Amino acid sequence: MPEGVIVGGWGYVIAGYAFAAAVLALYGASLFWRLRALRSLDGDAKAPKPR
Amino acid sequence: MNRLTTRLTWHHALGAVGLALLLVGSAFGLFQAPPERHMGEVSRMLYIHAPHAMNALLIFTFAGVFAVLSLWTAKARWDALTAAAIEAGLVLNVIMLGTGMLWAKPTWGVWWAWDVRLTTALLALLLFSGVMALRSFVEDPQRRAVWTAVTTIVAYVDVPLIYFCVRWWRSLHQVQSSPDTVDSAMVLPFRINLVAILLLSLWFILMRARLEVVRQAHEQAPEPAARQVAATVG
Repeated sequence: MPEGVIVGGWGYVIAGYAFAAAVLALYGASLFWRLRALRSLDGDAKAPKPR
Repeated sequence: MNRLTTRLTWHHALGAVGLALLLVGSAFGLFQAPPERHMGEVSRMLYIHAPHAMNALLIFTFAGVFAVLSLWTAKARWDALTAAAIEAGLVLNVIMLGTGMLWAKPTWGVWWAWDVRLTTALLALLLFSGVMALRSFVEDPQRRAVWTAVTTIVAYVDVPLIYFCVRWWRSLHQVQSSPDTVDSAMVLPFRINLVAILLLSLWFILMRARLEVVRQAHEQAPEPAARQVAATVG
């Protein structure tokens, strides 16, 4: 291993990937939750076309 | 299955492909790519931080274009896409800043520095969050669309600054790399994740824009149940 190389970096790497996965999952889940709420409250309504 | 669900099916396919690619790219980045000579294993942050950063700037650029089209045409679809792109860009921006801090600590020795790249990236988060906050306070749809578009265009001024600041001013942050300066074993997972995050972002934008269109339609409806829908999905 070259001199001066940073050791013990796996903890930061795992934290970084876990953080990204958590944020993406939470936002994706929030979209699904809002879509589900729309379906349950407005079951038969057709999505209107944008103007 | 109602029409909304049918129309969203191909959006979900976009998200599924993006998610699959993200898993493959991240696996390559974590287990197959070699560690960088000086940073060691922590260099694997490249494959999650940089794709989110580049896509954040791209998605904010989409928001800027949608804002111009919203002002130009006064059509609700561009306003919905503007809001959706800002929201997706904010998600990427948060990940960019979070993973950047986790990369900065072992390499720079600090979680945060008021460096020009970090500061302009934080400013983008604040500016575009401000646009969404402002948007939530305006009830009239036409006025809301105009205010959203104008403030988005103003906020967008920060985006080219984020990209070019490391070339224009002294910065702790490195300048942009190119495939010529990076080992090919590192380029592959980076490019896979770049495409993966783009597909996921497009999925977010299409889903969120759809919800925005439905919310706006119900917002103007007189029935209490319809207004409840608008409040729920907004």
